[in-house]
Amino acid sequence: MVTKSDTESVQIEIFPQRFLKPDTAQRLLDEIFQGGGILRITVQGPNLPRMVPYGPGKGLPIEEHKNMLLELADQALELRVKVGRIWLELDSEDRIEGIRAACERMLPFSFTIKRKQIFHTKPTVSDYAKYGGEVDDKRILGMIDPKAKRERDMAILSDTGGDS
Amino acid sequence: MAYKPQYYPGTTSVGKNRRKHMSGDLEKLRDISDADIVTIMGHRAPGSDYPSTHPPLKEMGEPDCPIRQLVEPTPGAAAGDRIRYSQFADSMYNAPAIPYWRSYWGAINCRGCDPGTLSGRQIIEARERDIEQYTKVQMDSEMTDPALATMRGCTVHGHSLRLDEDGMMFDMLARTELADNGNVNYVKDQVGIPLDRKVNSGKPMSEAEVAKRTTIFRHDNVPFGGAIGSRKFDEGLIALHHMWERRSKWGFRPE
Repeated sequence: MVTKSDTESVQIEIFPQRFLKPDTAQRLLDEIFQGGGILRITVQGPNLPRMVPYGPGKGLPIEEHKNMLLELADQALELRVKVGRIWLELDSEDRIEGIRAACERMLPFSFTIKRKQIFHTKPTVSDYAKYGGEVDDKRILGMIDPKAKRERDMAILSDTGGDS
Repeated sequence: MAYKPQYYPGTTSVGKNRRKHMSGDLEKLRDISDADIVTIMGHRAPGSDYPSTHPPLKEMGEPDCPIRQLVEPTPGAAAGDRIRYSQFADSMYNAPAIPYWRSYWGAINCRGCDPGTLSGRQIIEARERDIEQYTKVQMDSEMTDPALATMRGCTVHGHSLRLDEDGMMFDMLARTELADNGNVNYVKDQVGIPLDRKVNSGKPMSEAEVAKRTTIFRHDNVPFGGAIGSRKFDEGLIALHHMWERRSKWGFRPE
């Protein structure tokens, strides 16, 4: 059983009933970020390819998936997935109710919030292949999948970690 | 008295819809033109001639065969058309049809077709002019809800995923879009090649309507066993249990 004394930070998953449009995801992330106490954020969902991957149309560009950005704290990342889950690490369990309230304000449909261990704590073999033997900043562990590019798909918004 | 097929047991709305699909007694909800169907399928340009793989059967001089005399060829086979396909993905969120029922419908009602059933998509192959006709029946009738069922020749991912905010099934290739007037438009053909013009495939059904027309048993709509709390399972589930029991007990008989 995870108790407050076991760990300072908590990790939660926001699971909306529907996939979020980029605009909705942006508004929700803004609202969550404004509340403070965020240590790590990952958006997860099915891939939105930039070109047709298979079949007779292979290689044709998919214009609908271009130029989608997520902006947080003066950093912009290209959105490459349909937002289906938002994983958060918060500095305290007390922040969860604020996140829930933000979701209720910004999401026009139901959602669930689950507290669980999301980001792994030790480097995996993939991390070893990707980052080498020593990982300076342990916060990057579990943030992006092995095939993602660190420079393209991950941004460090603050060296201190949240506003707390 | 003439034999009347029962097709599927049970008194639930899902059982009734399954019977409708299998019998081909489908309600026509919209009328998509032949040219639009051909455009979405993407095998030939609308209005162009049908390419052929062999001369018309009448010119070929077929061998003297009692089966060939007995079975009338479909228009596509008689003309020597190519084999072409249409494939649909249906959302698990109460889409009207599901792969098995598209296949039952095809196998029972469509001559000269080859239905292929997969977990999240269903393909029917047939001679080109035949498959165009079969596809039109599917898209015009209650088998298809434009938001929850899309013609997808490849990259079909979407059946088991959550819906988009606007109620559309997720599509990695963005083949369809919900227009401001409430219609669902195809902007790409079934393999993701952009179309010159948008093709209107009709208005999506309401949530209540798809719940009424679906052939999917779901615990949050119509469960397989019938009404929750009833003293007896629906006949559909009893018949399934019966078949499983017989198959398990006597299905394997090496002698």
